[in-house]
Amino acid sequence: MKTRSFIAFVAPSVATMLLLIALPLVGIIYLSFHQSFVRTELKEVTTEVPIFGTLTKKQTLTIPQPVLDEDGNAVTVWEYVGGRNIRNAADLDGLATMVSRVSQSDRTEGWLTAIYREFTNYDFWGALEFTLLYTFCTTPAILVVGLALALAINNVTKRLRGTLVFATLLPMIVTPIVSSLAIFWMFLDNGVVTAILEHLGLGRFYFLASQTATRTLIVLYGVWFAAPFAFIILYAGLQTLPRDPLESAMIDGANSWQRLRYVIIPHLSPLMTVIAMIHIMDAYRVFEPILVFNSTVYANSVQYLTYFVLAFEDNIHKAAAYSVLTIIGVIILLIPVLRQSFREHRTAG
Amino acid sequence: MNKIRNCLAAALVAAMPGAASASCDAGEGEVNVITNFFETLELLAEVMEECETDGLNIDVKLTTSHKEEREQAFAASTSPYDASAVANSSITLLQAKGQLMRLNDLVDKYRDEYQIEDQMLIRFGDDISAIAFMANAQHFFYRKDIFEKHGLEIPQTYDDLLAAAEVLEGEESVDYPFGAAFGGSGGWELANEFVNLLLANGGALFDPMTSEAAFDSPEGLEALEMMGTLMNHMSPNALAIDFGGVKQQLQQSEVAMAILWGDQAATMDKEGESTVIGMVDFAQAPAMVAGGPPATTFWWDGYVIPKNLDGDPETAFKVIMHAVRPEVVEANNDVTLWIRSNYQPTKYTKAITDSVMANAPPYPMNPQSALAHGAIGNNIGDFLAGKESAAQSLADAAADYRAAAIDEGLISN
Repeated sequence: MKTRSFIAFVAPSVATMLLLIALPLVGIIYLSFHQSFVRTELKEVTTEVPIFGTLTKKQTLTIPQPVLDEDGNAVTVWEYVGGRNIRNAADLDGLATMVSRVSQSDRTEGWLTAIYREFTNYDFWGALEFTLLYTFCTTPAILVVGLALALAINNVTKRLRGTLVFATLLPMIVTPIVSSLAIFWMFLDNGVVTAILEHLGLGRFYFLASQTATRTLIVLYGVWFAAPFAFIILYAGLQTLPRDPLESAMIDGANSWQRLRYVIIPHLSPLMTVIAMIHIMDAYRVFEPILVFNSTVYANSVQYLTYFVLAFEDNIHKAAAYSVLTIIGVIILLIPVLRQSFREHRTAG
Repeated sequence: MNKIRNCLAAALVAAMPGAASASCDAGEGEVNVITNFFETLELLAEVMEECETDGLNIDVKLTTSHKEEREQAFAASTSPYDASAVANSSITLLQAKGQLMRLNDLVDKYRDEYQIEDQMLIRFGDDISAIAFMANAQHFFYRKDIFEKHGLEIPQTYDDLLAAAEVLEGEESVDYPFGAAFGGSGGWELANEFVNLLLANGGALFDPMTSEAAFDSPEGLEALEMMGTLMNHMSPNALAIDFGGVKQQLQQSEVAMAILWGDQAATMDKEGESTVIGMVDFAQAPAMVAGGPPATTFWWDGYVIPKNLDGDPETAFKVIMHAVRPEVVEANNDVTLWIRSNYQPTKYTKAITDSVMANAPPYPMNPQSALAHGAIGNNIGDFLAGKESAAQSLADAAADYRAAAIDEGLISN
């Protein structure tokens, strides 16, 4: 292909990528290095609020009020703060003094326990702990469950397959926020699952009352939600499995486990790498179940912090800093998978 | 669809004697409103949409994430929203940033046409910043049948409430004695319970002169420890149960008493939703110290117009005023505690007015409160979950608040 036609072909996608991926990314990084606020000064202000009927209550409060310029507009300060937002977001200053604080304090617990407690008490590191736990538990689990589902459905009669494939895909079709809510309600006090367990005489379970239970529930939700994605790709992969190597393996006396281990899985492994890659990116941004389960005390996520800072601290710059940290985290996690994928490409080529 | 709705609305209006002023005639163009999502706002959104004509498009977005969207919209060069519903807490940051339109001229111009009453006007100094339509406060809800059975009195203080909870631990017909919103998105509701107890205990959220945190105090510690003790009488899942969940607990006979928002009182007697119709009664919130004010704050909800709207402020104002006109209050008297004087108090709103008459303070209208509220909600759960001491939780919250206040330019570093 001529260079000119090559450029003509890729130009639209390069332009789209620059516009939709690179530009927002640069914007986020730019925001995270700045801070902005409306300049205020403390003023005595009498506020009047309604009580009911025609009663009102007057209160004189000292309230920060905007400083106005000549035109009567509020003055907004926009300043470069360097790494301050990232430092605050990741609590780096607290982290620096953590070891000395732990060694100086009187402790009843072990040194490691104290370090762990202090460490996870910082929003970012506590959230990172569960984010990584979630990512590393769900990724292998969806591969195993997805493969099992693909093999099982591939073995049923053709007539049933369409229906089964559709039913298996349902968790992926439902919007995450809705499916999180459905699961959350099932496990709440007197939810379907809790009530059934109690009727069976197994006692009362509190699925949202401890760290272990909450975390297990969210990880299981993650597997339930993402396994169909692994399933559909692996199922498609199974359709391309050539019959010859399978038949030769059978003639050589390979049992079904050996056929799976030495023929099917190697055939599917490039797909598994792709699934792992996409799922790691998704899992690292886990958000909906954290929000819906109200679980931040027991299980928090980096993505949730971005939302929290934006919604409750009204601070787009610190939220941008959390986004930058999320991107860095995703890149670090993807390095081994990308290397694996690269190697596969090379051997294939 | 819209045409059908308009026809229906027109037919309804025609059928209602004395509702002739319902014709809206707000002007031309487009009015986009963003509000929170609850029953009263839903009703008002429907009334606003009556103003829709061929030349005027009205879109009311009801969402629980109104706050995030509004803050970004009002801070932008032009806001896609021409009006928004806010309350005591959410107005503060907008007001302190000078983003709200001064409504004085519009109020003067339309005072007679819409019978605007003084108590509906939220004032900061000379500026009218919002038009309020309803008041609200959290108060005590209890099962009178269960209280009678055990010979219990309505608790006057939180210590009384704990004593009642001890007695009710033995009650078979409910799962737990008590419910309160310790869960919910972002810890906002949890922090609100803390603020109620803190203020009633003589504490404050911040020092008004320096804006430094003041809730990390002996009063705050007592308030938080009280919440820890209350947890013993609540569902072990309490940290995951939000306000809607607590309401259900009471409606489904899972708890015998609760602290809930007053505007929800009528839902306790709602067919098809409640299983305890006629069995729930209401009283002002218990006090933290004997003889002190009830541990609650009172709130107003109202509409604001941003300075940077892209539509016509007069049209937006007329649409709002159309929705909160006296006829709407009259036709929907029982929906909430309306602020207009033609509102007739009901048994469902008496506990709110009782709380206020017993000196419950208004929720503090300072931007620092909103930030402190957020920081508290993000941290005190750690204590209630048994992860750390109450003092540590409050110290963490104070540090978070300080960092947020520096970023917002309220404390200079």
